[in-house]
Amino acid sequence: MPQLNPAPWFLILVFSWLVFLTILPPKILNHTFPNEPTPNSSKKPLTNPWNWPWL
Amino acid sequence: MTLSLFNQFASPVLLGIPLIALAILLPWTLLPSPANRWLTNRLLSLQGSFIGGFTKQLVLPLNPGGHKWALLFTSLMVYLITINLLGLLPYTFTPTTQLSLNMGLAIPLWLATVIIGMRNQPTHSLAHFLPEGTPTLLIPVLVIIETISLFIRPLALGVRLTANLTAGHLLIHLIAMATNVLFPLMPSVAILTGTLLLLLTLLEIAVAMIQAYVFVLLLSLYLQENV
Repeated sequence: MPQLNPAPWFLILVFSWLVFLTILPPKILNHTFPNEPTPNSSKKPLTNPWNWPWL
Repeated sequence: MTLSLFNQFASPVLLGIPLIALAILLPWTLLPSPANRWLTNRLLSLQGSFIGGFTKQLVLPLNPGGHKWALLFTSLMVYLITINLLGLLPYTFTPTTQLSLNMGLAIPLWLATVIIGMRNQPTHSLAHFLPEGTPTLLIPVLVIIETISLFIRPLALGVRLTANLTAGHLLIHLIAMATNVLFPLMPSVAILTGTLLLLLTLLEIAVAMIQAYVFVLLLSLYLQENV
């Protein structure tokens, strides 16, 4: 099974971790969200029933 | 040299460039980073909602000490799912079929969770070796079994991902070969085999996503035990 050939193991390890640590976190961190998470409030919100205006 | 079906998994080299390097480096060009704009496009909104939803759901059962791992886990998830899914395209190489990559990810991350547990709360971590309510006579046996199961975790984590993806690609290869060979001989059987191939490809898409998710989920569970 060619995956068990130990020759490129170290390079694959180093390279994959390098990409994983340098490229991905900045890409993920750039996704910012505008609101802080709100805690669950115990009161239910007041809602009036509405229907689609064009029906 | 005789070719076997496993030759598709040998790390390919073209003109002296190891293609696995390109396969690990280039997928991130497909995922744009958002700029400082209020409104973005659909792709960025989709990515954002995926990342936000995934992080929230993964981090929910973790104690506050584990929340530092959120970025690592989300990066790992995006890494694995992108690599897995791109490998399903024809003529692409899937780096996650390489045992080296998966073990290289699994062992350090698992070891990190164990070390964090042993250093910050050693009694609590060691308590995992004995489930509650075991009969007294079984205690030695169970401690041995739990130790073995602890050490098998990184192996299982790496091999699970490798084996699932390798098996999937191998099956696709086999059935595609069968369809190809059968087509001039028995077209109707070839069409059936082709339908099987289509269904298998859909399964492999699901497997690619699920295996990435399971990898990250299990790591978060190991962290949950220890943090």
